[in-house]
Amino acid sequence: MTPIDAKSAPGPWSRMQEKSIEQLHIRLESIVVLLGLITLMTILSPYFFSISNFMNILLATSTIGVLAIAATFVLSSGGLDLSLGSVMGLSGVVGAAFAVNLGMPTPVAVIATVGAGALAGLVNGFVITRGFVPAFIVTLGMLGIARGLALVISDGRVIYGLPEWMLFIGQGRLFGIPMPVIIFIVVALIMHIVLAYTRYGRHTLSIGDNENAARTAGINVEFHRLTLYTLSGGLAGLAGLLFATRINSGDPTAGITYELTAITAAIIGGTNLFGGRGSILGTMIGALIMGVLQNGLNLLAVQSYYQQMAIGGVLVLAVFIDQYQQRQETKV
Amino acid sequence: MSKTLKYSTAGLATMAAVAMSVPAHAEEYAILMKTLANPFWGAMGKGVEEGARNAGVEYYLQAVESDQAAESQLNVCNTMLERKPVAMITAAINSTNLLPCLKKAQSQGIKVVDLDGNLDPDILAAEKIDITFSIGSDNVKAGAQGAEYMVSQLGADAQGAVLVIEGLSGNITGQKRANGFAEALKELAPGLEIVASLPGDWDRGKAANITNDILTRNPDLKGIFAANDGMALGAVESVFAAGKGDDVIIIGVDGNSDAVKSIKSGRLTASVAQLPYLVGKQALENVKMAVAGNDVEKQVIVPTLVLTQDVMEAGTEPMLEFVK
Repeated sequence: MTPIDAKSAPGPWSRMQEKSIEQLHIRLESIVVLLGLITLMTILSPYFFSISNFMNILLATSTIGVLAIAATFVLSSGGLDLSLGSVMGLSGVVGAAFAVNLGMPTPVAVIATVGAGALAGLVNGFVITRGFVPAFIVTLGMLGIARGLALVISDGRVIYGLPEWMLFIGQGRLFGIPMPVIIFIVVALIMHIVLAYTRYGRHTLSIGDNENAARTAGINVEFHRLTLYTLSGGLAGLAGLLFATRINSGDPTAGITYELTAITAAIIGGTNLFGGRGSILGTMIGALIMGVLQNGLNLLAVQSYYQQMAIGGVLVLAVFIDQYQQRQETKV
Repeated sequence: MSKTLKYSTAGLATMAAVAMSVPAHAEEYAILMKTLANPFWGAMGKGVEEGARNAGVEYYLQAVESDQAAESQLNVCNTMLERKPVAMITAAINSTNLLPCLKKAQSQGIKVVDLDGNLDPDILAAEKIDITFSIGSDNVKAGAQGAEYMVSQLGADAQGAVLVIEGLSGNITGQKRANGFAEALKELAPGLEIVASLPGDWDRGKAANITNDILTRNPDLKGIFAANDGMALGAVESVFAAGKGDDVIIIGVDGNSDAVKSIKSGRLTASVAQLPYLVGKQALENVKMAVAGNDVEKQVIVPTLVLTQDVMEAGTEPMLEFVK
């Protein structure tokens, strides 16, 4: 299909594309890729297409999915948060230390877990907006600081034995659906609405699109950034909570390199690395593409080394298709 | 582009068709390792494959990208259960990361095996997980064997300073080895005094620095015990650089290929070799017995072997074939 055709008489594909982008803020290509992968895996492995396996995929995607939501917000504002994985590890350890070492009740421990992440994010945001240090440097520093702190608090060991009510968050089920999956989907839906339909979301995207224009338009860019990094840290804390309660312990090494996986999911889902565009539903599809790919390859007994290659390939391909289409559009 | 849509609808139809016809499958053993990139786990993986071939069983082996990918290993574990194996043989990254998966396996009647003793019996009891058996080396004994060999070289009435280089602070394996060494040394040769016991964090460079520092303080150092071979090899460099290569006995643990080379060339004195290949092989054979309904030992200890230049040159030790 040439761009001129597209202008003169839009085909069904481009009409659908336009609708999907306007109404749900997602790219249709990524849904096609996801369905294509599901079809392929179903044909290749007899174990793939079952409710329990789909639950596996969603459960495996829940932690990384929550981190990817954080990555989408920060990236689409033109920022970067490299400390996501470390902050997730730190939060889980802080929560376990509160619950096990200090014997705090579950609500306090839960708030401490998410709060530790939000606090780390607040520190990031503060140094970035008030200290004028680039986000790359600040969050790279936090990557080391948070990981080190997690190891110090836990003395390098997993802190085992969370209280029963806390375990419900990671191991409980509601209507047969694992709790982490429910929490992940609810958070994703809320955050999708925030980014796509609220003023907060529009400000986020416009800062990422053109910071100076946003400032001229009267947006308090510095304060908005501060809240974005705090939100990002808080979501990393939530991811830490989900993982710690799943394995009944705070693991100081949890989440190593997850920041990169989260950014990958966001970009496969259509987020612009340099800001101005992003959608949570798109990111969820990106995360699911990776989840389905990994799950399917595991069922087919493909070594994990090839899985990393496959995901790297999908990432580059996704951005290639995106760039190709943008070039076609600007040619007109 | 609209063809893509047609193809995917066609695909969805096939998907539904395939889903209805899941074929029956032969008995399969699922094996979940850490990462095969580490020679220790690589050797264990080879032993598992050999054991499966000998036992004539089908196996399905997966590993993760690094030995810190705890959640990734849990996800792979859950996925592996979809293939409904008869046994789930795991080398867990830490004592808790696989707990939900092992619980699920147990509830589905799948036998759970702990490869290399990574699971903690107390935690398993608290989680009500009843594993079929645990197999691995005894790390306390490995440390004690190091002490025995050191005393056999220096004599029971020897006097002097000894350095212990521990593993990563807080790591249970390193602690067991260092404690095993210290206790056996106190008993066998009370005259040998441990002047320092410091964490080398499994790091060759760090161990070399520690050795340098202690040699400055105790120039008459008699022996060094390091909780793994990498650190022992770091100590070797410092000792030889200080010109004391002939005066200090250096012992590591693992028996990895670098250590074997160093022992052969007369630099590292000895290494208490673990036999990961044998652990893997024996694990598979025991699982087969358990699946057939026979009783198996709950705690299988695979022996460790003190590797020295003499042992390797003689070549008569039957377990040498398992040093990979």
